[in-house]
Amino acid sequence: MRPLRCRTARRCRGICPRCAAGLLQSPPTDFSGDSARRLPPFDPPAPADLARLFPGLEILELIGKGGMGAVYKARQKQLDRWVALKILPPSIGEAPAFAERFAREAKALAKLNHPGIVTLYEFGSVGQAPDERGEVGAVPAPLYFFLMEFVDGVNLRQLLQTGRVPPREALAIVPQICDALQFAHDQGIVHRDIKPENLLLDRRGRVKVADFGLAKIIEPERGCLTRSNAHVAGANGLQADGQTPVAAGEPPALRELTDAGKVMGTPRYMSPEQAEQPGEVDHRADIYSLGVVLYEMLTGELPGKELQPPSRKVQIDVRLDEVVLRALERKPEQRYQQASGLKTDVETITAGSAKSEVRTPKSEGEARSAAVEPRHPRQLW
Amino acid sequence: MSTPGTADSPASPPLFVTTRWSVVLAARDPAAPGSREALETLCQTYWYPLYAFVRSSGHTPEDAQDLTQEFFARLLAKDYLRVVTPEKGRFRTFLRMALKRFLANEWDRWRAQKRGGGRTPLAFDTNLAETRFQQERADTLPPDHLYERRWALTLLDQAMVRLEREYATRGRGAEFLALKPHLTASHGEIPYAEIATALAATEGAARVAVHRLRKRFRELFRQTIADTVATPEEADAELRYVLEVLSRG
Repeated sequence: MRPLRCRTARRCRGICPRCAAGLLQSPPTDFSGDSARRLPPFDPPAPADLARLFPGLEILELIGKGGMGAVYKARQKQLDRWVALKILPPSIGEAPAFAERFAREAKALAKLNHPGIVTLYEFGSVGQAPDERGEVGAVPAPLYFFLMEFVDGVNLRQLLQTGRVPPREALAIVPQICDALQFAHDQGIVHRDIKPENLLLDRRGRVKVADFGLAKIIEPERGCLTRSNAHVAGANGLQADGQTPVAAGEPPALRELTDAGKVMGTPRYMSPEQAEQPGEVDHRADIYSLGVVLYEMLTGELPGKELQPPSRKVQIDVRLDEVVLRALERKPEQRYQQASGLKTDVETITAGSAKSEVRTPKSEGEARSAAVEPRHPRQLW
Repeated sequence: MSTPGTADSPASPPLFVTTRWSVVLAARDPAAPGSREALETLCQTYWYPLYAFVRSSGHTPEDAQDLTQEFFARLLAKDYLRVVTPEKGRFRTFLRMALKRFLANEWDRWRAQKRGGGRTPLAFDTNLAETRFQQERADTLPPDHLYERRWALTLLDQAMVRLEREYATRGRGAEFLALKPHLTASHGEIPYAEIATALAATEGAARVAVHRLRKRFRELFRQTIADTVATPEEADAELRYVLEVLSRG
């Protein structure tokens, strides 16, 4: 039996209390996020604790939690509509100049009005974060929040967990994402954290991109994402997701927030320049991340060190290889320069294949994955 | 520590319900059925943190044993439940406050009539208690912190016992033994291939098995905590607090 990584002598029935605490942080239904959630958290307040801070809202339940905050489903009483309330980790307010940055960035985001982007209704800060009845040393801090459109559906991560996304669905989702990205990019806003968790699909199969620009609000100046908890990465040579090795030449972790709210990056979807030259990031970083997402949708896997074209792994139109590989070019200048360009190519393939049998390198008679439907996303459930 | 009277097997759910602190609070009448058993079960489970508190407050082992016994006797006689106080929401804080009051107010009076009662309602192993106490970080932690830490560890212990018992009653004891070392391991460190071999299963099945174990452990831990509080809202807050205590090691 391999020795356990944690070498504490104080064990309770063979279990180290600290390690147990790490495991117990995650909600019982969480599967893929096991390792990702084991960082010292931010513990989201219970809905009842939040209620007094948001008198106009009826806060129902916690629907999501991550390094960037917690999201609750709520009802805005006066307007009689569902909303998503996102609160940031309380300690975030302690970062210098945060309040000013928050106001500036959030204003820009509130102007993003597009059917493919989760609308930001309101933002600001309220009272004090709920404490632990004085048992834990509670430092009063304003609670920063966003009030957003509530999307009734799933995110792409959940869809991916059910298996590979059939090519026709992937190709129906991508153009919508491109539209949203192009719209934001035209306004000078880069997302910086495109990943399946941020791509929401409502019941009609429409895509909405969430958390635009949030990374820039949380991480100052550079606007890029920090590496995760350094001690986790150091201890076992792996990053927070427990799979990706820490690169030897990786830049040191940027200034961390307090231990209550370490920002977790999503290294798997991050463009090379985001990791290496964070100050040089522009909208093409989003295109790279989209490339990773597309690759994952088509093949069920993330692109590895040796980038294998998707058509070598699954039966898809070989022309899609070019789209994906171009989006995943390490040098931004060699990628698609506009999200709309990616969309055009995808739609060309889609339209072209609707009539004829698709050319694949190995034809084993699986017509299902070969057929590509036109643009309308089919009802996903 | 075992918990007689706590039935975790699906065959007898009604007993499980009576371990809740809320039941105790609701039934102030000592004659109410189930209430006494519930309180006894709770005391049986959590006596050690109290003993540790009394000992680290400076009492000798002999006095600590007597005091703890006396305290529980009064608790079981519902003396302390008659007083309405805000911390009633959580058994942990209630016990600690009540014990503190007991030690402050009753110590002198009780000492005068020591060993007159002759009742030993709780059977706890006082030798074991002292042995464990000697292993504590009693020199570095004040009584309150010691109590909290011991409480949190007791909860952890409870959850592990329940988990093991669940697997055992379903004939999956060997599986539990194979999986247990990986209960708190971080994702990237779990040797699924090895586990698959140990279980004579596929690697995919090994992943599912590990996932199920961890998930069930979390659920049982939450349930264990829920037993000691009066409402679900309290359970969330209590869980956060306990995890914070556990994180200190």
